[in-house]
Amino acid sequence: MNTRGTFGTRLDRKVTPFLFIAPFFAIFAVFGAFPLLYTAWVSLHDWGLLEGDRGRFGFANYAELFGDGRFYNALANTIGIFLLAAVPEFFLALGIAALLNRKLRASTWWQTGVLLPNVVSVVAVGLVFTQLYSRDFGVVNEVLGWFGVSPVNWQAGRWTSHLAVASMVMWRWVGYNALIYLAAMQAVPQELYEAAELDGASHWRTFWSVTVPGIRPAIAFTVVAGTVNGLQLFAEPQLFDPGGGGTGGNDRQFQTLAMYLYEKGFTKFDAGYAAALSWVTFLICVVFAIFNYRLVRRFVSAS
Amino acid sequence: MRKLIRHPATAAAIAATLLVSSACSGSTGDGKITLTVATFGEFGYRPLFEQYEKDHPGIEIRSRVTDFDTHFKALSMQLAAGRGVSDVVAIEEQQLPTYLQVKDKFVNLADYGAAQLKDQWAPWKWAQGTKDGYVLGLGTDMGSLALCYRRDYFEQAGLPTDRQAVAALMPTWQDYAKVAGQFTAKLPKVKFADSAGTVYTAMLNQSAENYFSAKDDSYVADRNPSVRDAFYLAGGLAQSKQTAAVTTYTSAWNVAIKQGGFATIACPAWMLTQIKEAGGKDVSGKWDVTSVPGHSGNQGGSFLTVPKQGAHPKEAYDLARWLTAPEQEKRLFLSDGILPSEPQVYQDPQVVAHRDEYFSNAPIGQLYAASATLLRPNYRGLHDADVRPEFGKALGRIEDGSRTVDQAWAEATQRGREAIK
Repeated sequence: MNTRGTFGTRLDRKVTPFLFIAPFFAIFAVFGAFPLLYTAWVSLHDWGLLEGDRGRFGFANYAELFGDGRFYNALANTIGIFLLAAVPEFFLALGIAALLNRKLRASTWWQTGVLLPNVVSVVAVGLVFTQLYSRDFGVVNEVLGWFGVSPVNWQAGRWTSHLAVASMVMWRWVGYNALIYLAAMQAVPQELYEAAELDGASHWRTFWSVTVPGIRPAIAFTVVAGTVNGLQLFAEPQLFDPGGGGTGGNDRQFQTLAMYLYEKGFTKFDAGYAAALSWVTFLICVVFAIFNYRLVRRFVSAS
Repeated sequence: MRKLIRHPATAAAIAATLLVSSACSGSTGDGKITLTVATFGEFGYRPLFEQYEKDHPGIEIRSRVTDFDTHFKALSMQLAAGRGVSDVVAIEEQQLPTYLQVKDKFVNLADYGAAQLKDQWAPWKWAQGTKDGYVLGLGTDMGSLALCYRRDYFEQAGLPTDRQAVAALMPTWQDYAKVAGQFTAKLPKVKFADSAGTVYTAMLNQSAENYFSAKDDSYVADRNPSVRDAFYLAGGLAQSKQTAAVTTYTSAWNVAIKQGGFATIACPAWMLTQIKEAGGKDVSGKWDVTSVPGHSGNQGGSFLTVPKQGAHPKEAYDLARWLTAPEQEKRLFLSDGILPSEPQVYQDPQVVAHRDEYFSNAPIGQLYAASATLLRPNYRGLHDADVRPEFGKALGRIEDGSRTVDQAWAEATQRGREAIK
């Protein structure tokens, strides 16, 4: 007995799924698409954060940006820190995942432990690491002192500051990536390992020829996500800055793109310039993500 | 459940509820007017708010206290967005020029009769908060300078420890630098000043002009001898490693105070509380206060403003006026050491007689009142906030050893010029 008309039922079947996913698109339109387009609009104007539109339309902000040495400095810093953090992070995460993938006692305990740094608030991480790297009272310099190394002023140098910030990034993301790899590793077909064993492959060989290709999609995901995160790096270097002016040290030695954006937009109140900067950052993110994704595909072959 | 969500209308209703529930409204039900007061750091207002609420039953006060950066970032965002701002907002003197440029976003307090209150404040303080007949803010505290020093370290270095003797030892900053040399020779492990930046800022605050000419607001940092002298003296201390190189209010600064990393610091009245908090019981009684080399100078001090967005400008003004009235300023000094910006208050016998136990019972009322009387205001200029950090960073480069004073000076004047747009 169907009391409802067939038309009603059909309509229900067609429309209801869309309504269920509607909240996502509504929220995306409000918090994703609208800001993106509005930012593009602002970037084409001389726009003061407090006064609003100061009446100029065109690509002047972009022209200024591409001639701005500080932009290239921030870009180089961002990429530098990204590489310093991402490369070791990738190998460390793989190694940890491989260890966790063996039969371990209390494996849940280990897995939770590995994820813990990622759950800790980034502000807490920033504050603690800044203390650790403190020039006069920091633990890192204390330990270096045991080996006769004189205290390093971590914030002062380009490489030292990049290393310190990269270590914070690694601390937060290694465990997270390791868990994703682990989940993928547990889905690699057991027969492949048995076949490798029959062929007399070593552990090392098996790992590189079976495990790593087997988790290729997971690696691709972490690389893309890591790239986007890395290029938007903000909180860690911002908290690491002793002056707190957002310039990333006296010589902008560790000012990232996001910090420069923040400085322009919220310290100098130049919203138009900041908007242009955020669009350029967005495009750089896209280009880098695609590039890195291809890189992974090429080197981790699925054979 | 399954049946409930089968109908498209139901699903739409759920979707709508999800969206709507994230927005909320904020009206008070009992007909009371709620005024929010935003300050950066504690202004000591809590007991005053309670009293005001008692005296004005229709008013409820909510306090929003954040740190300096958060406060001003939020204020800018709220002014830009056109909503969310507090009814009464504190603005620090260095930030004031920025907001005077967009004064239309604030209530002209003269419309409510603020102009008649003019004589309450020191003339320069009143002038800071006004522009072309527009009264943007009513002055709260001010930051006349004194010198905080560690008695115990002075004793170990064979220097006099008595307040007046210390003041007599270094009436000028040149003498201060000389004493720094004697001090370091005896006590090489302790730094003489907290940072080159503090010494530099204190010296700069004693000259009538800084980076900009008072006449036409042109950039004069590279020609103004006061800037150069201050930079070279502070830079010299930095180059000879006589500063602890800790930026004020950072965690490193707090640790340095707690562990006794430096011996002197030019301290406005409001800094005493911060030294107490950072130092804790361990350092109690070891600090003392005397008059600063060069005798006075202003550093910091705020204003209460009423942004136009607020729904109750009249009530907000009344509250701001009451909070900055002489009786309240006096109370705040006696309870929290917040220095009044009103002559009749800082010359009040009870204020002058006020001492602070933590700082070896120093007569801080008398010291700061004297400093306030001698104070000459300095002209800041519209782009002061853009240029100032460049000089601070240049001193930082000397402290971290990457530049000589000459190199840093050349860079600072150059980058200062570039920072003006």
